[in-house]
Amino acid sequence: MRQKVSVLRRLGGCAIAVLAGALAATSALAADPIKIGFSMAQSGPLAGSGKSALLAMKIWAEDQNAKGGLLGRPVELVYYDDQSNPANVPPIYTKLLDVDKVDLINSGYATPIIAAALPIAMQHDMVLMGLFGLANNAKLNYDKYFSMAPTGEDPAKVATKPFFDVADQLVPKPSTIAVITPDIQFGHSVLEGTRAAAEARGMKIVYDRTFPPSMTDFSTLVREVQATNPDLVVVGTQPGQSINVARAIAEVGLNARMIGGSMTGLQTTDAETILGPQINGLVNFAYWLPAPKLQFPGSMDFLAKYQAKAKAAGVDPIGYYVAPWAYADLQILAAAVEGTKSLEGDKLGAFIHANTFKTIIGDVQFGPGGEWAKPRTFLIQFQNVKSKDANEFTGTDHLVLVGPPDMKTGDLITPFDKARQ
Amino acid sequence: MSAFFRFLGLAIIAACALFAAMRAVGNDYVFYAGYTVLEYVVLACAWNILGGYVGYVNFGVAAFLALGAYTGVALGRIAPVPLPVMMLAGGVVAGLVGLGTGYLTLRLRGIFFAIATLALAVVLQTLITNWDFVGGSAGVYAIRPKHVPIFGSYIQYMVFLMLTLAVVVVAVSRAIETSGLGLGFVAIRDDEVAAEATGVPTLRLKLIATALSGAFMGMAGAPLPYYLTFLEPSSAFNLTYAVNSIAMPLIGGTTMWFGPVLGALLLGTAQQVITVTISSEVNLLIVGLLLIGFVVLAPQGLIGLLGLTGKRRSA
Repeated sequence: MRQKVSVLRRLGGCAIAVLAGALAATSALAADPIKIGFSMAQSGPLAGSGKSALLAMKIWAEDQNAKGGLLGRPVELVYYDDQSNPANVPPIYTKLLDVDKVDLINSGYATPIIAAALPIAMQHDMVLMGLFGLANNAKLNYDKYFSMAPTGEDPAKVATKPFFDVADQLVPKPSTIAVITPDIQFGHSVLEGTRAAAEARGMKIVYDRTFPPSMTDFSTLVREVQATNPDLVVVGTQPGQSINVARAIAEVGLNARMIGGSMTGLQTTDAETILGPQINGLVNFAYWLPAPKLQFPGSMDFLAKYQAKAKAAGVDPIGYYVAPWAYADLQILAAAVEGTKSLEGDKLGAFIHANTFKTIIGDVQFGPGGEWAKPRTFLIQFQNVKSKDANEFTGTDHLVLVGPPDMKTGDLITPFDKARQ
Repeated sequence: MSAFFRFLGLAIIAACALFAAMRAVGNDYVFYAGYTVLEYVVLACAWNILGGYVGYVNFGVAAFLALGAYTGVALGRIAPVPLPVMMLAGGVVAGLVGLGTGYLTLRLRGIFFAIATLALAVVLQTLITNWDFVGGSAGVYAIRPKHVPIFGSYIQYMVFLMLTLAVVVVAVSRAIETSGLGLGFVAIRDDEVAAEATGVPTLRLKLIATALSGAFMGMAGAPLPYYLTFLEPSSAFNLTYAVNSIAMPLIGGTTMWFGPVLGALLLGTAQQVITVTISSEVNLLIVGLLLIGFVVLAPQGLIGLLGLTGKRRSA
């Protein structure tokens, strides 16, 4: 009898606990939501990555709400399409702050969009996490800006560092370099980084003419590079250009000991499946891949959720490039809110500066300028891609990490002609 | 002359009423969205002076706008200059470039002139990209002061200046229409050879049109760095400015000052509303369909559809 009473008591206790939990969850969700506002490219040239980032952020919001929200309140994302145009950013953020009354803001995707949002964050004294911005805070030194790109305080040098770290292992040492870059800020950064690296290693730059950003046919340019017969070819290009340059390299049959380095956009499944086997041999920077040493708590769960939803959402189906970073970006913001129990910019900014954050892309710590305290970029080589099937680009079988040495998942195939076969 | 001042008085009253209504709403978003619409009113009217009245299609709107913007940036780096002075300087520089471009390219007609103006934008963008003094390819920040006396926020001050410029450009457009200058423009647009043969000084008139059009675009561009707060070449030379500045007069109608104003108000407002409502790639589809619809249903623009052109002719 006693035992029966005890069981009943326990069951009753459990029921009360469940009821209390349910009530707490209900009251949290019934509370005013914490609104996080941002612009995100859903159209225009940045839309591919913008859509992928938005899906990741929505997954974060679902996960966070399933855990009870933030500070006991549900989270709500408020976002508008900036059309990849910085001119749309000021009105969007003003609407977010003045009309939608968001509690926190986040950035849209990439450098020019972040640059337009940063002064607005400064005027409102709010924290701004910048998604894949290059040196956005270098001139402003805003103490509440934090960059979600692992390029460190000197992005110009970091853009080409993994390429040269691997090139240093080549025997005999390479002695000549050609650089293919557009006449824009990103291209100038790559050029600056390459010149510094060449000078440090005593290499000779044999080609460094920039091309207009609107250029689409690169066969003549690639032939000019071929005529200089360089050991290394550094390519620092933007998404559309990267595909066209890769095609021109395949068409002309350019050969060197290493080709690539900073070809933005080749990390997306769209670009990879457009090029198919033409991508073989190119080396390129990477921020994250599901390599064994880069699988952190939550990484693969996130990827599984993302990939399950990506096809229906019509976004990058694999999502190795920007998506994990967009998720991690909000993880850090949420950790700061929970850590300070506050939504105030001053408190959040100080907390983010003072702490290291565990995220799905690893531990993140910021330096004084808001960039990553320690850069973390990799070099991959596309190897043995046989078709344009998206499955070829999952895992690290064909996206082989060739540097830095402690992260390698395979060896560099060199010269380029050998990897091309 | 009294009709001109009567019109100017009415335009000023309308502008004051609009500004008061925007302030009454009580948030800065209305000013940010309104600024863009007013900027397009100026650009569309300025484009129409050369494209609508004279019939020379200018694809280089972004080049003149960027010239104004970068003149402001350059001046700001030399000395702390007030925004109205930047606008005047931007207007002078863009007007002079317009004059020079006109002198060099007005022998070209039709599509060849249009391509030359497009080339101007490419050349200027390359120059600016490699001119580090104004930020070069890295761009330049232009942080707005938090408060401005009388107006409160800086965006309200910028809207006031853009509204003033819009009144000026509309008044000038209307004055051109009702003057001998306007008749000369129309003669060139209808048949340039015939106009030349009957004694119309075509080159001089075309130069006046390119200079005026360029100057107004440059003035509209000077506040751009403070609106964006970060100016870099791809933003300043964005093709959207050219596309919108051409589409707006075409939607409204190119033969009267009212056409570009109406087109800019409608399309500009629609774009702002769609950006924060539909907010996906569908907005591009809607704007595209709108343009196709107007081209098919109203080839002479809204003023043609409403019969305003005819009324004016018969008046």
